[in-house]
Amino acid sequence: MEETIVTEQARPFPIKTLILLLLAAALLAFPLVVSLPFPRRLMILILLYAMLGQAWNILGGFAGQVSLGHAAFFGVGAYTSTMLLMQLGLTPWLGMIAGGLVAVALSQLIGYPSFRLKGHYFVIATIVLAEIVHIMFTNWDYVGGAVGLTLPLLPESLINLQFHSGNAPYYYISLALLAIVMGVTYLITKTKPGYYFRSIKDDPEAARSLGISITRYKMFAMAVSAFFTGVGGAFYAQFVLYIDPNSVFSFMLSVLIMLIPVLGGIGTLWGPVLGAFILIPLSEFTRIYLGGVGGALDLVVYGALIMLVAIFEPRGIWALVERFFGGRK
Amino acid sequence: MPDLAILSQVILSGIFIGFIYALVSVGLTVIYGVMDIVNFAHGEFLMLSMYVVFWLYALFRIDPIFGLPVSVLVLFVVGVLTHKLIVRPVLDAPMSAQIFVTCGLLVYLQGVAQFLWSPSYRLIQEPLLSGRLQVAGLNVSLAQGVAAIGALLTTAFVYWFIEKTETGRALQAVAEDRQAASLMGINSDRMFALAWGIGAACVGVAGALLANYYYIFPTVGTVFALIAFVAVALGGFGSVPGALVAGIIIGLVEVLSGFFIAPAYKEVTVFALYLVVVLVRPQGLLGEW
Amino acid sequence: MSLLEIKNLTKSFGGLTANQKVNIAVEEGEIVGLIGPNGAGKTTLFNCVTGHYRPDSGQVIFDGHDITGWSPERICKAGLVRTFQIVKPFMSMSVLENVMTAGFLHTNSTAVAKKNASELLEFTGLADKRRMVAGNLTVADKKRLELTRALATKPKMLMFDEVMAGLTATETNDAIDLILALHRQGITILLVEHVMEVVMPISKRVNVLDYGVKIAEGEPAQIARNERVIKAYLGEKYRAPG
Repeated sequence: MEETIVTEQARPFPIKTLILLLLAAALLAFPLVVSLPFPRRLMILILLYAMLGQAWNILGGFAGQVSLGHAAFFGVGAYTSTMLLMQLGLTPWLGMIAGGLVAVALSQLIGYPSFRLKGHYFVIATIVLAEIVHIMFTNWDYVGGAVGLTLPLLPESLINLQFHSGNAPYYYISLALLAIVMGVTYLITKTKPGYYFRSIKDDPEAARSLGISITRYKMFAMAVSAFFTGVGGAFYAQFVLYIDPNSVFSFMLSVLIMLIPVLGGIGTLWGPVLGAFILIPLSEFTRIYLGGVGGALDLVVYGALIMLVAIFEPRGIWALVERFFGGRK
Repeated sequence: MPDLAILSQVILSGIFIGFIYALVSVGLTVIYGVMDIVNFAHGEFLMLSMYVVFWLYALFRIDPIFGLPVSVLVLFVVGVLTHKLIVRPVLDAPMSAQIFVTCGLLVYLQGVAQFLWSPSYRLIQEPLLSGRLQVAGLNVSLAQGVAAIGALLTTAFVYWFIEKTETGRALQAVAEDRQAASLMGINSDRMFALAWGIGAACVGVAGALLANYYYIFPTVGTVFALIAFVAVALGGFGSVPGALVAGIIIGLVEVLSGFFIAPAYKEVTVFALYLVVVLVRPQGLLGEW
Repeated sequence: MSLLEIKNLTKSFGGLTANQKVNIAVEEGEIVGLIGPNGAGKTTLFNCVTGHYRPDSGQVIFDGHDITGWSPERICKAGLVRTFQIVKPFMSMSVLENVMTAGFLHTNSTAVAKKNASELLEFTGLADKRRMVAGNLTVADKKRLELTRALATKPKMLMFDEVMAGLTATETNDAIDLILALHRQGITILLVEHVMEVVMPISKRVNVLDYGVKIAEGEPAQIARNERVIKAYLGEKYRAPG
């Protein structure tokens, strides 16, 4: 019988380390080589969405709890940091953390009732929550209602998290954020919570019989996931300097955040990065080259991709990459 | 003190829209009851049916009343195809794959509708069912009244079909125990396809009825689908009478909260109801669980 | 005082009574058998004791605590651990990772969990399959894995739900050896089995359930001669010689 080897490697692979180093070097050097604003902007979006996809992946991929409401966490992160900046003059860096924490609070609010039940209750709860938050913000005049908020222009500086003369700083910040989320995810997969998450995904009943408090760990996965999604939202607000309910709370944003890891490779460390590198350019280019007419063509492609992946390779494109490189994993 | 005449008018409209919600939810609950799969693209089925009726009217001047049977037929086929093409391949896959396929279909259909028919809002200008009647001191829109009655009759028909006919009992047998049903000579795959066909045909009726008085646009289904999720959870997943009762309750909650709180928050109240139901009575009002 | 005491436990589903006032006691360090024909209510009783069902009435006392109605995870933490009749390994994980997951109950260190898991796998004879994906194991090995995983939680008492069903004669003997080895380490064991030949030789006492009621209790030899048991379940061919 053929042995299937997982996780542990028979011997260390220096090639893997080499590829990682090259990738890191390429990412660090990118703004030095490319000075055009458009490709830089595209890369910033890719890094941001890779981070959001990874945040989703912690909950949906590793712990197996599918959320279709992550836009709620993204949006409250964006609004929290923006309001703190506009009302109290708080630096966006602290605003980011505050935004992440508000997202965590929101996540626990729906996690508690729905995690005790079968999976689809949770999925619907996430959609419903995101929709409630969307409607509330649209009708909440204090935060600009349907019109949204335009962030005040501040002098360019790191503490203000605003840069007007070039977008390289945004690039490095988004890269750093992604690196942090990747690091946290890696840490989780190698320690107790990661093992617990996977056990909950594989067989919740068996997990409970081994003393694992599955509700508590699902809540934990959700908190981590929501936190980083909120942080991502706060960064997004600083980057585009304008937020409104329809862009930060939209259902399609939730779909996109889910699609990135699903396409790239659900429950894998590199899947979300791969997914973002495929999807974000795809949607940006359809938007640019097909203009107004093709406004919805990205949705058609997204939808088709989700269905194809679910049917033919539920483990995502990363699984194909692994197969292509044979034994190495 | 609210004006009683206005309040009774509001309650009537709540009941009317409640019957539509009930029918949409019945479609969802039939599919779920038989297969344990939530059709996340249910709202998009509703949207498709509204566009079918709209284009029949816009291109051939066929009134929605006569467009209805066409819509039912088209949606039945759409339901069956959905099962055959994307649901059947993931039947034995993990639940997440089942969630992904219908979510993918949702996004796909919304994209197609926006691409082909543009995001603009459309309305059927002069349907046969128009004007208002005075019934027992209440001012009733003919289109809404007929839609409500039609939705109620369809719900009753689906209930009768599932409970009283041979085929309906076969559906129940498959829902109960796939393997036992196949030993009894029931082809479960055909029953699954039928469940999808019926589920989609329900919104085929609902969409055609709604099209008489409701705006038609690519994302019109989203709100209806969300309300149907709430109704199905409230009524108990898989229960047709539960979906009917829940639909009416939600219709009433919606109009009353719109009336007493603010129209903008009427859906918020309904969605909040979902979280309360899940917390307090997860098996739903009439669910056995 | 008994380590596990099931007192007057009753559980019914709808109109069907699965367990009717069942009393069973297991002393510390014993191997006790629980047998009965199919549908006798063994698995229901099992699920009531381990927290997967809530009994309608009656009590379950374990190690001095009234654990009736506790959650499965809390019962496991108290030291009473079960295996499943239909094995439930974490399919996508390796054998080693399965055991490590259970071992995290007592440590937060991955290195410690790994070391402990490796030792346990050595003990249960799965060491050379530690890297295999659990889903690819044979049934016998999956059962062995489930047992190893249960051991990793450092239980005071193990409850096995038909751990030997579906095994070949050789595999059954291996399993019996393993259970006896666990017993020698001081772990109390409740064996729930349909196949009785495997329970009889290693159990100190055997309880018999039929239609949800306990109809007999005693040493294996007595049980094998008990008329009610023979009638209910054993059949003529199992009558003790002589």
